Amino acid sequence: MRSARSDANMAASEKSTKERLLSTLDDLEVLSRELIEMLALSRSQKPPQSGEDNQVLELLVQRDGEFQQLMLQAVEQGRLQQEMLGLDKELEKRDSDIQQLQKQLKEAEHILATAVYQAKEKLKSIEKARKGSISSEEIIKYAHRISASNAVCAPLNWVPGDPRRPYPTDLEMRSGMLGQMNNPSNNGNVNGHLPGDALAAGRLPDILTSQYLWQSTDVSMGMLPPHHGNEFGPGHNKENEDDVEAMSTDTSSSSSDSD
Amino acid sequence: METIPLQQETEDYSFLPLIHDIIKWCETFDVLRMDKDSPDVHQELNKLKTKIQETREQILAMPGIETNLEQQQQQLQTLTEQVHTKNQLLHKYKGLCMFDIPKA
Repeated sequence: MRSARSDANMAASEKSTKERLLSTLDDLEVLSRELIEMLALSRSQKPPQSGEDNQVLELLVQRDGEFQQLMLQAVEQGRLQQEMLGLDKELEKRDSDIQQLQKQLKEAEHILATAVYQAKEKLKSIEKARKGSISSEEIIKYAHRISASNAVCAPLNWVPGDPRRPYPTDLEMRSGMLGQMNNPSNNGNVNGHLPGDALAAGRLPDILTSQYLWQSTDVSMGMLPPHHGNEFGPGHNKENEDDVEAMSTDTSSSSSDSD
Repeated sequence: METIPLQQETEDYSFLPLIHDIIKWCETFDVLRMDKDSPDVHQELNKLKTKIQETREQILAMPGIETNLEQQQQQLQTLTEQVHTKNQLLHKYKGLCMFDIPKA
């Protein structure tokens, strides 16, 4: 008996309040209809059946009481539902705040990772530079050497019309190995040697020595072989200029176009 | 003071007054004219029927009664705990600053 009641209570408690309310209301409707019909019948029939009436009445009163309790509970649940809606909204706001923070943290992590990586690369470059450090004097000396031939900057006295060029001209090329290969008369002299070597050995014809005077007269001694350093002194400049001018009149030369 | 509105609420949801009126009407009716097909009885019956229908519609429209009270209270407690936990998390993350940022 007790277990049946407890089972009924359990079942009732598991049902939602809405189901219980509707069920109780249906019971009320049925009981009230039954009571009214019994009353109507009892009036028409002579012997009154009060026993059954009383039972139905008691059940009706009981159900009515239950219904009222359930309605109060439903009102309370409605209030709780409003509270829960408010909490839901707060939760949504907190969730969006957390997501915003997460985004910002990811961004910061990315920026920091990039900065750390770049800093490490810079440290590596610094370390590499320290290992291969060269004194500034050596660098300046080297700069002087490579710029002595006026390849990086025109000579101070260069003007438009000056036939001197920082690159080998046609005549210089023709006097080189490839040019001499087509000219069998000069093969014995310069065969197998570069013009520079022939010049160094003193075998190159004089006319060709002037071709190298596009280099500056103040070339550093380190660039050329030591015993020929004086051959390109100031006294040779005029001859070289004449030769260069002659060269520049050669219409077939494409590299001697003066401005 | 609090009991009066409660009593008023219970009276609003009770069907006993209407049923009592119908029974009373039936008894007085029977004594006087022995005529049960009077329009007044039907009027009272219709009142009861209407009230039952209205109450049913009211129940269907009420929010928050899809579960029972215990389950709802449990849900409420869970939500409250979640809000509390997230507030703590936010407070912790916003206050977390490992770097000394110089004020401009």
